[in-house]
Amino acid sequence: MRRMRSVLLVVGGVGLIAMGGCKATPPGRFETRVMTTAKHRVLIGNRRQKNPLAATPATISDGKEAFGHYCVACHGMDGQNTGVPFTMSPPAPSLASRDVQDYSDGQLKWVIDYGIWPSGMPGSKGTLSDEEIWSIVVFLRHLPAAGSLGEPDMYTH
Amino acid sequence: MRVILAALAVIAIVSFGSAPLHFIGTPAEPHQVEVTAKRFSYEPAEITVKKGEPVELILKSVDVPHGLKFRELNVEVKAGKGKTGEVEFTPEKTGDFVGHCSVFCGSGHGSMELTLHVVE
Repeated sequence: MRRMRSVLLVVGGVGLIAMGGCKATPPGRFETRVMTTAKHRVLIGNRRQKNPLAATPATISDGKEAFGHYCVACHGMDGQNTGVPFTMSPPAPSLASRDVQDYSDGQLKWVIDYGIWPSGMPGSKGTLSDEEIWSIVVFLRHLPAAGSLGEPDMYTH
Repeated sequence: MRVILAALAVIAIVSFGSAPLHFIGTPAEPHQVEVTAKRFSYEPAEITVKKGEPVELILKSVDVPHGLKFRELNVEVKAGKGKTGEVEFTPEKTGDFVGHCSVFCGSGHGSMELTLHVVE
């Protein structure tokens, strides 16, 4: 029994040393393309659902307000990470980027509802109402210029 | 003839001016509806009002700040922490309208709903 425990300790120690020697590198173009296609075509659902809210100044304003509840903590006021004092792994994307904007409205709603595991994006279903989430989708389609809304209050007080 | 008509008109105006207000018709008192908001529900969760009848919606918060917004009716009321807020409106169309909390109040904020039934 004691011998077994020693063997396990040695194997565990070697494993830890080996893991410590690993180095994560950014994915290459092929990996990125495969993963992006998988997300857009397979992993993120609700592709066909339409936004029931029209894009009006009032709806954009509502979306901006709902976005300000807590999305701003990681995405910044402008959805482009302005003023966010940390970088997550994987980093939060700019919501103005093509990778994000290429999702359909229904898919953006799905991502906000259920999050993206295992990234840091949490699901907000129940925390935000459907109406608020759809208004956020409208806001995402009408993001202001990067930096134009300043930094989130939570990081300046 | 003209003099008689003028006299009649003057008498009518004077009589009309001194008529009691209820004779002319005063605006109806709004139907008061009280709703209590707490994390994360409304009490009651359903209310019924009549189309065309003025409504005074009184929202009372018993904990954190809350709101109640009916997007389709363009009606919103907010109540601060432990306070009361009011809004008056007259529903002009029948149907069921779902209102949501419009002031972020925590993890169950998105599940706060109140259904307003507007009937004939």
